[in-house]
Amino acid sequence: MDIIAQLQDQVNKIAYIAFNTVGSLQRDAPPARLSQNYPEPPEPSAEALATINNEPKEAAIAFMQGVKQFDALVGALPLSEGGEEAQLKKIAELQAENESVGKELQDEMQSAERELKQLRELFHMAADNCLRLKPPS
Amino acid sequence: MAASAYPPPPPYYRLYKDYAENPDSAPAPPPPIVGTYTSFGSNYTTDDVLPSLEEQGLRQLYPSGPNVDYKKELRVLNRELSFQFLELSDVLVERPSQYARRVEDMGLILRNMHHLLNSLRPHQARATVIHILELQIQRRKKAVEDIRRKREEVRQLLQESLSALHGHMNVAQQDGRAMDGGMAVALGDHVGRQNNEMKTYGFGAAQTYR
Repeated sequence: MDIIAQLQDQVNKIAYIAFNTVGSLQRDAPPARLSQNYPEPPEPSAEALATINNEPKEAAIAFMQGVKQFDALVGALPLSEGGEEAQLKKIAELQAENESVGKELQDEMQSAERELKQLRELFHMAADNCLRLKPPS
Repeated sequence: MAASAYPPPPPYYRLYKDYAENPDSAPAPPPPIVGTYTSFGSNYTTDDVLPSLEEQGLRQLYPSGPNVDYKKELRVLNRELSFQFLELSDVLVERPSQYARRVEDMGLILRNMHHLLNSLRPHQARATVIHILELQIQRRKKAVEDIRRKREEVRQLLQESLSALHGHMNVAQQDGRAMDGGMAVALGDHVGRQNNEMKTYGFGAAQTYR
């Protein structure tokens, strides 16, 4: 996957962690006493308590790891200096060079094919001469 | 007609009845569309441009201009996102009813980050073209070198073969062996042209001895 797609994935991951963390914390939070008129809410079970204690830490770790990973990926972006104009100029230069090298290659190919044809003719002549030999008397 | 579920085909086919006999009897195809057009009720455009954040109704958080420092702006937005997440946690504890503003701010930052990354795609496309052109030039240069080397090797091989044949001929003549009529030797004398053009050679195959 190219680096920009990785960066986009990372942004989506950070958004997922950020928005879903809050929801799951709210879901798993123990009931709070809103007023003195209401009775004390029941104590959460040991399992629920463990979840409540660990969940924020894990969420915070996941979020910060995502943020750091994004920073590292941004650092790895191979951005060249000069911007669009420099790139377009470089492309034009490379195209011109590509065309001249292509022409050179075509000339070489044509010369090589010509020589190959000549060699084949020579070989056929040599083979014919061999076949036309008289046997020794 | 365009609004029905199964519209009939366009009636243009009638214009091409005599096309096989007379191609000029039918109208020429329409020119390519430029700009916006409608297709199956939706509007499309031939001008493929990434819409700006303002056009999408969003606030741009990084400075606009032709030379945006993408790395710096992405890092700034990343830090801002972490800060807003902390603010959201704080607001949920202290003033839970005011969460919406923080969530909206976080959404705006994320959209700005995505827009910046999308703006990098044309740069990536140009860099890919540059890389492909460089590879192509490298491959072509290598092919030219290989062909030249092989041609040189072939020429040297032929020169050596011809020298060896000359040597055999001289030895045979010195030994007084007759070259009888069964022999077919036709040595060319066009060897050694400076521009490496090789003319016709005929190679002798064998000799008969008296």
